Amino acid sequence: MTTTSRIGILLALLALVLSTQHQPAGAQAAPRQLRIAVGIDADTLDPISQTTTTVINMVDYIYEPLVDAEYVERPGEIAPKLATRWQISRDGLQYTFTLRSGVTFHDGTPLNAAAVKFSLERLLDPRNRVPNRHLYAAIQSVDVVNDTTVRLTLRQPSPLLLANLGGNTAAILSPAAVQRAGDRFGVAPAGAGTGPYMFKEWRRGEGITVERNPRYWGTRPTFEEVLFRVVPDAGTRLTQLLAGDVHMAMLPPAPDVRNLRRNERVRVVEAATDRTIFLVLNNQWGPFRDVRVRQAMNYAINKKAILASVLFDLGTVAVSPCPPMMFGGVPVAADGWPYNPIRAKQLLAEAGYPDGFEVNFFTPTGRYIQDFQFAQAIASQLRNVGVRANVSTMDWPSYVAMILTPPDRTRIQMIVLGWAWPVLDCDGALYGQFHSSSHPPTGLGPAYYKNDRVDDLLVRGRNEVDPERRKAIYREAQQLIWNDAPWVFLWTQKWYVATVRNLEGVRILPIEKWDTSKATWRP
Amino acid sequence: MSSLSHYVLRRVGLALPTLFGVTLVIFLMVRLIPGDPARIIAGVQASDEEVTRIRRELGVDRPIAVQYARFVGRMLRGDLGLSAVTRAPVLEEIGLRLRPTGLLALSSTVVATAVGLAAGIVSATRQYSVLDYLVMTVALCGVSIPVFWLGIMLMLVFSVHLHWLPAGGYGGAAHFVLPTLTLAAFSIAIIARMTRSSLLETFNQDYVRTARAKGVRRPAVILRHALKNALIPIITVVGLQFGVLLGGAILTETTFAWPGMGRLLVNAITARDYPVIQGVVLTFAVVFTVVNLAVDLLYAYVDPRIHYG
Repeated sequence: MTTTSRIGILLALLALVLSTQHQPAGAQAAPRQLRIAVGIDADTLDPISQTTTTVINMVDYIYEPLVDAEYVERPGEIAPKLATRWQISRDGLQYTFTLRSGVTFHDGTPLNAAAVKFSLERLLDPRNRVPNRHLYAAIQSVDVVNDTTVRLTLRQPSPLLLANLGGNTAAILSPAAVQRAGDRFGVAPAGAGTGPYMFKEWRRGEGITVERNPRYWGTRPTFEEVLFRVVPDAGTRLTQLLAGDVHMAMLPPAPDVRNLRRNERVRVVEAATDRTIFLVLNNQWGPFRDVRVRQAMNYAINKKAILASVLFDLGTVAVSPCPPMMFGGVPVAADGWPYNPIRAKQLLAEAGYPDGFEVNFFTPTGRYIQDFQFAQAIASQLRNVGVRANVSTMDWPSYVAMILTPPDRTRIQMIVLGWAWPVLDCDGALYGQFHSSSHPPTGLGPAYYKNDRVDDLLVRGRNEVDPERRKAIYREAQQLIWNDAPWVFLWTQKWYVATVRNLEGVRILPIEKWDTSKATWRP
Repeated sequence: MSSLSHYVLRRVGLALPTLFGVTLVIFLMVRLIPGDPARIIAGVQASDEEVTRIRRELGVDRPIAVQYARFVGRMLRGDLGLSAVTRAPVLEEIGLRLRPTGLLALSSTVVATAVGLAAGIVSATRQYSVLDYLVMTVALCGVSIPVFWLGIMLMLVFSVHLHWLPAGGYGGAAHFVLPTLTLAAFSIAIIARMTRSSLLETFNQDYVRTARAKGVRRPAVILRHALKNALIPIITVVGLQFGVLLGGAILTETTFAWPGMGRLLVNAITARDYPVIQGVVLTFAVVFTVVNLAVDLLYAYVDPRIHYG
């Protein structure tokens, strides 16, 4: 290669580089397209098959359910969405919904009672893949009363049905659009929703684009398009934000959050969620059979210190088995379980372990904020009271397989776990972890906790329709569980995104979602 | 039939049982790692019935021998099945990802070969000079720097501070620069070192001395006489590096949000999406086999003494 041709190539490369030069984020007019870096790609865009919060978060731009579970201003309250009114019969077995008039689907067909019947029956049809169908098990039939009225008949009263209908698993879809898409509906759901944005394109592995719905019945969003760009690496998401390639990044690396909070070009939006992080103690294994040992474990760990130094304040100390933001949640201990290593040692000695014991301690890596790191901090604190915890980790599918092992064969002695529920109600927080029917392999409560009174309360809470009586039931259950200490109660995790300064009004919902519906751009 | 096409046919014939073996190994391996695909797909909060239903839908409730027979039967008909997660055909999933990965591996191979050869030649012709030490030190760094770290550093410099290049993502030519450099770094180093040592070896040969003695100019001696004879081991390394690039793509693609095969594979493994894992590994195996064959054929082209028959 001659020197001149070499220089020519270099110049060409340089020109190429300069031609794509990006403006730094900042002094810009409102972009036509809002770009959001998300950590994962969707598996399917079919609302009924959803399992992952971040994917549902994207699906939320396109679809709407009958009612809206309000999460920020009045958590737990049910607001109108595609239904403007609803009536519940006195026996709690019939729900009659009046539909919003003048709403059309993205394909131009009108929203009517037949579409609601189609959508809910599709959700209940056992031939379709609906991982969370059990949330709607109470529905027996869906009937069209007239064009704008639908009636649901229930098998038994269900205090949670309305809240469950408030998620987009129960989105109302255009029957014509679903039929047109056929088998491709999961990957190209064109025209099926009523939401503020319409599906435009899904380039798998790259991103999903939605465009503004010109006929939207509600408030028009600011941005003409939204691109969800798939960026699996947290560090890269942050880099793209700082480089001005995206306007918002979900979950940048936790260790960077402290600096980001001080960065004046960036805004960190963070909020508490209902995800409790805890240590499962196998209540049927060795020392943990003794409630005093389990309490000692709770006393031995300094939650506040770990939150400040390992989690960068991305959590709040747990004050109850059910976070107080949920329906029925009450703080059992205002500051969480107190840190008191002396008391811990006393209790261990009383239980017959004055020199502590050895325990296998598993944690996932990258599933919860700083999980592997805080597990090591916990292990070192436990050492101070004589408990020798051997930390090890594994990938998530293996972890789930470990959790789902029956008690006689389980390897679990102590593990890190997080639990959250998309409906802010204590039933979701408690039943799947503390009712004895939730023991693996049929459930996901690997503490193998059993308290007959708690079992009874949790079943009653599921069937009681009166809100005040439900609250009383959950108050008692939380108290009992807290004192039985089947877990080491650690903290509830925050959820956070980082945005460029110009983007205002982004909110974090306590169910680990972002919300840009009220977002605006300030140049 | 010429002996060359005979040779190619025989090599392809030999490759088939290899690929078959690969499918068996990968089939068994993914099933040996713990984790139930149905449970992962359904999510931890799904009911047991739904998990059972999905298990039946995926066919993973059948004995492994039956599953394997089905897989091979389908594969022979050119059908790799449906992704357990997206339920789109595996061939479609791979088709969407093959191009980004292929282009990236190709651009990296070109860059790695060009830069590696040049650096190796410079180094060899100026053995023990400052330049030689410099090139070899940089090469040592290239071999040792982890891909994800290098990727993030390049992004910090060229995207965040200089705003010259996009920080990851797939698109036009500008999107290729940083991932290509990141991915090529390791191979540049390997090729440079191999070129240097291979060239130095030929420098001591009689024909090089003869060429010099009869007055051939230095560049011509190096390029026409020495390099040509040093090429065989270099080609071998370049061929192997192509495979390394496919593997390295897994990390590079994650760092640069590149929608390629590497990430498809990682996601499939974390989701225990058996059909996709099998399909991707099979594709990698096919590509690797083809590249190896191409390298073997190149030997004959480069060195007329080599005959296939």
